[in-house]
Amino acid sequence: MGLKAYLNDIVEAVVTTAKGMRITARYGVDPKEEVTLQYPEERWEIPKGYRGFLHNDIKTCTACNMCVKVCPIDCISLESVRGADKKMVLCSYDINIGRCMYCGLCVEVCPVNSLLHTSGYEMASVALGELILHFIAAEDAPEIKARVARQVAEAAVKAAAQAAAKAAEVPSSGTAEAAKVAEAAKAEAAKAPVVEPKAAMEEAPQAPVSEPTVAKEGEKKE
Amino acid sequence: MEALAISLVNAVPLLAGVPLWTVTLLLMVAVAAVILVFALTFEGVGSLVLRKVAGDIQARIGPNRVGPNGMLQFLADGVKLVLKEDIIPANADRLLFKLAPYFVFVGSFAAFVVVPFGVGLIAADLNIGIYYVMAVTSLVVIGVLLAGWASNNKWALLGGMRAAAQIVSYEIPVGMALIPAVLIAGSLSLQDIVRSQGGLLGIFGWNLFHNPFTFFSFFLYFTAAQAETNQTPFDLPEAESELVSGYNVEYSGIRFGLFFLAEFGDMFIVAALATACFLGGWNVPFFHVGTLPWIWGNLLSLGVFLTKAFAMVLIMMWVRWTLPRLRVDQLMRMSWKYLVPLTFVNLLGVSLWLLVFRGKGIPGMIASLFG
Amino acid sequence: MTIRTDALPTQEMTINMGPQHPSTHGVLRVILTTDGEVVTRAVPDMGYLHRGLEKIGERVTYAQYMPFTDRLDYLAAMNCNCAWAWTVEKLAKIEVPARAEYLRVIVCELNRISSHLIAFGSYTADMGAFTPFLYAIRERERVNDLFEMLCGNRLTYNYARVGGVSGDAPPGFLEKTKEFLDYFEPKLDEYNNLISYNKIFVHRLANVAVIPAEEAVAYGLTGPNLRGSGVPFDLRKDEPYSVYPKFDFKVCVGTGERGTLGDCFDRYMVRINEMRESVKIVRQAVAQIPDGPVRAKVPRLFKPPVGEAYFRSECPRGETGIYLISDGTVNPLRLKIRTGSFVTMNIFEKVTRGLMIADVVAVIGSFDIILPEIDR
Repeated sequence: MGLKAYLNDIVEAVVTTAKGMRITARYGVDPKEEVTLQYPEERWEIPKGYRGFLHNDIKTCTACNMCVKVCPIDCISLESVRGADKKMVLCSYDINIGRCMYCGLCVEVCPVNSLLHTSGYEMASVALGELILHFIAAEDAPEIKARVARQVAEAAVKAAAQAAAKAAEVPSSGTAEAAKVAEAAKAEAAKAPVVEPKAAMEEAPQAPVSEPTVAKEGEKKE
Repeated sequence: MEALAISLVNAVPLLAGVPLWTVTLLLMVAVAAVILVFALTFEGVGSLVLRKVAGDIQARIGPNRVGPNGMLQFLADGVKLVLKEDIIPANADRLLFKLAPYFVFVGSFAAFVVVPFGVGLIAADLNIGIYYVMAVTSLVVIGVLLAGWASNNKWALLGGMRAAAQIVSYEIPVGMALIPAVLIAGSLSLQDIVRSQGGLLGIFGWNLFHNPFTFFSFFLYFTAAQAETNQTPFDLPEAESELVSGYNVEYSGIRFGLFFLAEFGDMFIVAALATACFLGGWNVPFFHVGTLPWIWGNLLSLGVFLTKAFAMVLIMMWVRWTLPRLRVDQLMRMSWKYLVPLTFVNLLGVSLWLLVFRGKGIPGMIASLFG
Repeated sequence: MTIRTDALPTQEMTINMGPQHPSTHGVLRVILTTDGEVVTRAVPDMGYLHRGLEKIGERVTYAQYMPFTDRLDYLAAMNCNCAWAWTVEKLAKIEVPARAEYLRVIVCELNRISSHLIAFGSYTADMGAFTPFLYAIRERERVNDLFEMLCGNRLTYNYARVGGVSGDAPPGFLEKTKEFLDYFEPKLDEYNNLISYNKIFVHRLANVAVIPAEEAVAYGLTGPNLRGSGVPFDLRKDEPYSVYPKFDFKVCVGTGERGTLGDCFDRYMVRINEMRESVKIVRQAVAQIPDGPVRAKVPRLFKPPVGEAYFRSECPRGETGIYLISDGTVNPLRLKIRTGSFVTMNIFEKVTRGLMIADVVAVIGSFDIILPEIDR
């Protein structure tokens, strides 16, 4: 290495260092360059299409099961029974928000737009069970089931009565047949509550397991 | 110190019966305590300022939660370090592992003794001042090497080896770059060096402007000293992205805290030496501090000295947050191929200058032209 | 000079670098055998992040696999999303609306910028300068803001869909993109002044881990790592897909300006220059974007015809090729993904021999590897 290159090296080192230091000095002096958002006090504006926590409006939900089917990681589970008017009635709708990856596929497929992303993003918890969102309280499920079963049974009885009345109106066909129809309707009504939801059976055991732990955590805290 | 003790005994009649050595000892302890408090405060505030400067430069805010505007962050950090569990690795050499932080801290703290804070504020005005500083700060090498070895961790060992090689090789340019100041003052004592930069020339009386060689000498010293204190761009011993954390990787709690404090202590020593040797020390421009009453003169000179030293520390931080890190072979090359020859040439230049112009600097010559 | 080993017996030392290490860019483990500071052998050990993404692909439907491609390369999720969409479209021969293609190109190039920003930032942090890293993160946040506006997510976007994109650009998106480009372009010069041409930085990078062009080709390097060796190969130009032929941009190659052709500095500089080219592409795309639908009609129960398809696209870390076999059902029969980082790691052992430990960090950074891509 010649002397010229040697000196050049030194000069270049000094010059480039000075250049860099000028830039850092400008940032250091200029208070406008601070970009920190002091998070809990200041928040950024959440855009319209933000994919936050999922929320299901159970009043409009038709329990069509599309979201459950499309979810790549099975974090949604729902349970439904067939109601008196042949429509599905939700009796539980859980989203494991700890597992959800906010891909938005479920929201996209929802035919009635009952499942939506909210703008919520804060949910820290020490218990995994707390991260399961229950849109219908677990203790309400049997009640709903019973109610639906009752309605179905009532409807069946009504239908049977109507059928019987109809049968009675028609004398030629004989009463025995009408009785048979009524019998069948009754049997169907009895069967109705046993109608099991197709999906969500794997998820179902999780809820009861996690619930007590949550309760315990809560007691400890108190 | 003994002279001070004698004058104290003479001044205070109560102490007449106390043996002289007791008074001297007590005085020493008191002075040491004052310096220790100063050192710890500086190190605490320094760590806060470092983070604030980092925040400013990096377009963020820095610590601002503890106390008003984050002013008490260093206390929180200190308390955290003290309360943390002190972990000693199972296979570590326990004795050496425990010993290492003290070596490092003592090496850095002992140098505070000869720092000329003010016209009369110096713990011990040793006649070998600069020599002493160079010697005791080298103690850090032993501590760092011990820490690296005793941790029984390969990364720590590499860090310790790097630190030893680095500090030893940068000792030479640091010493060589300081010698011009010694030559001009004709004394190794830091107080003498500071006094030699006083007078009526104002800031042009500083060694920095004495002649072109001393001007370069200052920058050479500053560069080499950054390396000696393991500051970026020479922070290889604790290169976070290569060696994880270097020699102190296995340390936690207050033992880590001692390394941390020593690092900031070194930073201040470097700044203080630069101030004393090149930037006029505690001299107030165009004003003779000695004419003031003792207390005011000392306070004024202390203020001037600390302002200059802190400005130097800020520049060190500024450099730290700008530059990347050298590689270990480049670090050695920089020392042996660039800094050592340059400081020697520089030293030669200063000596010749002093010989030719009979110890007069450029500002002095210009001043004498105008009478 | 011969070193006498009989007087002072020395021994090589084996060090584990990773899986937890600040500069292995994830959970890469490198088994270093060193002679002091000099590395005699560096063997990368991969697989700490293996999630079986290819096998997962066989168990989910074509649409369901889209979020998993986000996890293929989380710093360039858009590129991976689009690569999957293009592959499936190639397999099923779906015609995609022009606006969707333009949107895809815009997000791909924006994501290339944000990915290269991370590469640049983390590289400087590896080299010891922490400040540029935070500047890079600051710029990346603005890209994330744009993506958040577009699809609602900031990291794993899941934006592309088979047959289009998940949603049209919201009002104001294109204007904000332009704003960002205007803001971003001068920053590149600032980075160059701040760090790229800094003497210490250049010294750390120049002449380190030189890969000659033939070797780079022989080892199958792609992307910036190949172009850093001076080979002007870019799939966007050489095997044009989507609407890339409509744009005017240059393929950046290494020039060996500060050292040997194909060293770390060239690879680094290619990325910096590529950001500029991406800015150019996005500007053109924003100017030319047509109106219209953004999603083709794809049946909800999507079943592609029996067949196979291989599609490769230029991702920030090299060529991402997806090989797909369909048996006509809703799930793929076989899925194979070829990623840039994985192939790049082949040459790692060769180029690191004889370097310093600090250089190993420089090499990892210059390859800009990302572990989810290596391990899949």
